[in-house]
Amino acid sequence: MFSFVQRFQNVSNHAFSLGIVMVVFIMASSYYQLVNNSAFSLPSDIDNVKTLINVRTSRYFGSQRGKPKENMKIKFDLNTDLTPLFNWNTKQVFVYLTAEYSSSGKIASEVTFWDKIIKSKENAVIKVNDLRSKYSIWDIEDTKFDNKDLVFKLHWNIQPWVGLLTYGETVGNHTLTVEDKEKI
Amino acid sequence: MNLRSELQKLLNVCFLFASAYMFWQGLAIATNSASPIVVVLSGSMEPAFQRGDILFLWNRNTLNQVGDIVVYEVEGKQIPIVHRVLRQHNDHADKQYLLTKGDNNAGNDISLYANKKIYLNKSKEIVGTVKGYFPQLGYITIWISENQYAKFALLGILGLSALLGGE
Repeated sequence: MFSFVQRFQNVSNHAFSLGIVMVVFIMASSYYQLVNNSAFSLPSDIDNVKTLINVRTSRYFGSQRGKPKENMKIKFDLNTDLTPLFNWNTKQVFVYLTAEYSSSGKIASEVTFWDKIIKSKENAVIKVNDLRSKYSIWDIEDTKFDNKDLVFKLHWNIQPWVGLLTYGETVGNHTLTVEDKEKI
Repeated sequence: MNLRSELQKLLNVCFLFASAYMFWQGLAIATNSASPIVVVLSGSMEPAFQRGDILFLWNRNTLNQVGDIVVYEVEGKQIPIVHRVLRQHNDHADKQYLLTKGDNNAGNDISLYANKKIYLNKSKEIVGTVKGYFPQLGYITIWISENQYAKFALLGILGLSALLGGE
């Protein structure tokens, strides 16, 4: 009655259902902890944003057929505490600073200026001044950034040890209108 | 050993393969993705994803958010790439262009895109968005596909179990 195949099947079936129960329990408990620590409404302070404009003609900086394209970097202050995002199912937190804006046509965009991987609770407090953004941003449609309204937001993504990926954003947007250089 | 029991065994094996295939195709329809479960092959998303980790995809969303981890296929290349969305540009309808980057890579993915394009087209090139994660279990498939003896070992074990598993 009990063959090798049958024993193997029984063991693997049992391991599979036990695994599912464990994963569900881990996911539920870590989600409960996040809600309990009000992780979905953490405050952040984005301030003192200055834009740095550069004109590029390379395809890797958004230029098409060698036409000059304005690229933008920023300098910013950031102050936030992401410690509540760490619990027993947090492998890493990916934190990223984005800006939302609209182009002159009907295109809406969101672009990442800066991001960071945080691997431990000890490094979850971010306090930086005059930090230069990582990425050089160009617009898909317009050549220039003049008069665009940028809304800066700090988002986070929890990479779990097992289970579903969790996303959220902090409370504390910063708005900025890019100056029209011709008027100066 | 009679013919009836041997045929019964064969039928069981057929049933096993058919149900595995049905499960896979059913999942593909439910998630709207051609390959709803993928195994990570490169280290470009470390430390979030390592080689051998299993990812569960979803592709019923019309737009992606910045920060989403997507799987995309480049025209003419066989291997799907798992990277994070760095920028999104959309026309308020269902047309969206994405720029991606691997967390562990220094620069963005423009040099990986086909035909000198500098954006991905969401509706055409994205296979799915990563929703769930299970560590390391997919290493078995990497091991089988990359080790020439592994296939024979697997066949041997199957054959042996068929012989030993009599009644």
